[in-house]
Amino acid sequence: MAKPKVTVWLGTRKGSYGLTSDASRKKWSVRGPYHVGNDVFHVVADPREPRSVYALVNSGWFGPRVFRSKDGGTKWNEVAPPMMALGKDRQHDETGAAERGPIVNLWHLTPGPENEPGSWFLGIDPAALFRSDDRGASWTGMDGLNQHRTRPKWNPGAGGMCLHSIVLDPTRPKRMYAGISAAGVFRSDDGGEHWTPKNVGVQVGFQPEKNPEVGQCVHKIVLDPADPTTVYRQDHDGIHVSHDSADTWKRVGKVLDHDFGFVVTAPKALPGEAFFAPLEPMSRLGAGGQLQVYRWSERTRKFTPTVKGRPFPGDLGTHRDALDSDGLDPAGLYLGTTTGQLFVSPDGAKSWLEVPYRFPAIHSVSVAPAPAGV
Amino acid sequence: MVAVRLDAMLKEFIPRRAVTTDAPTVRAMLEDLETRYPRVRWRLRDETGALRRYVKVFVNGEPVDGRTGLATRLAPTDTVDILHSIQGG
Repeated sequence: MAKPKVTVWLGTRKGSYGLTSDASRKKWSVRGPYHVGNDVFHVVADPREPRSVYALVNSGWFGPRVFRSKDGGTKWNEVAPPMMALGKDRQHDETGAAERGPIVNLWHLTPGPENEPGSWFLGIDPAALFRSDDRGASWTGMDGLNQHRTRPKWNPGAGGMCLHSIVLDPTRPKRMYAGISAAGVFRSDDGGEHWTPKNVGVQVGFQPEKNPEVGQCVHKIVLDPADPTTVYRQDHDGIHVSHDSADTWKRVGKVLDHDFGFVVTAPKALPGEAFFAPLEPMSRLGAGGQLQVYRWSERTRKFTPTVKGRPFPGDLGTHRDALDSDGLDPAGLYLGTTTGQLFVSPDGAKSWLEVPYRFPAIHSVSVAPAPAGV
Repeated sequence: MVAVRLDAMLKEFIPRRAVTTDAPTVRAMLEDLETRYPRVRWRLRDETGALRRYVKVFVNGEPVDGRTGLATRLAPTDTVDILHSIQGG
């Protein structure tokens, strides 16, 4: 039986890359760049159609574009004009619920449920959520969130006002989460028709009101793979955990020197554990010229550094989609930096290696099973 | 006919470096291009109808900017240039 392959997709400042390895995840081959010269924010393989890969490409010249590959990422074609549908849907703003003006960037793609092939969710800046049921050929705005009554209180962070996290609960088909900077986390329990802010317990340090309903600058959320009622959350204002499906949050990161950061992942093979890479909040760099990846354990309620000896040296930063994990056991973890390094742990964060290739600034890291024949 | 010269950046969407049009305004000229070459739709203008940030249109060497400039009238002897400005590093 052939060893399973692992594919990791990178979205970078200057294009996208595909990396493949066998299950040892120690030696990697690099393909690309694709979409050369363009800001690629997210590249996601379709778990339901493994040879299909989608890329969100943002260009100052040509605007935001969605590309799809049907052959595992070798040949790419632009999906029929998503901007048309997005623009049309964004005209519903007489209430002031959505800004006029062009879409700034396409941020994040999440595949729909396993039993709904062709369905995708797309998050953009200005913050809005769209759904496609035809493999990206058309997009429909999810107005329950896009025209939420709290929208006038949403504000952009330094990265824009982006909808960057879309998470489906695998145990409750109608439940999904969205994360918006800086509006906070929202949850829907009816498939995206209605949305409720879920930010109780997350204080806001950058405005006068410290406990608002919305306005939190969430950077990334993930569900625990074994218990999806446990949610891990990296905010501008710290690392939080919820044990009640985001109804309430508790800040657990204060024991660290800094618990500002952008990334979090919760590997399938490590239930009850989440991994964070905190940064110094002013510089958005690892503090003291080094970057550390911390393991949070629900069992011990403690953080443990995973990079042995001297942490990754240098003035390294991360973007919010730049940490992901695979579904293998032991778990593989993948961390991209704003200076183009890709660090890999093939053994559940017991050890790390650096892929010997320097990429452009890495926006996103996304793991998928390698398509056959690649 | 109005002569429209296209920069090399547009070769992904329009397989010619120059076209002619009888459009009476810059906006109508862009709509004509989008009709004849559908792939260029949304690439020169965003969904509000404004020129994208790094797209520059010149009529007889004079720049036309933003949304209101798209109403600039064209005469049959005019020459239009569509250029992309240099961006980023």
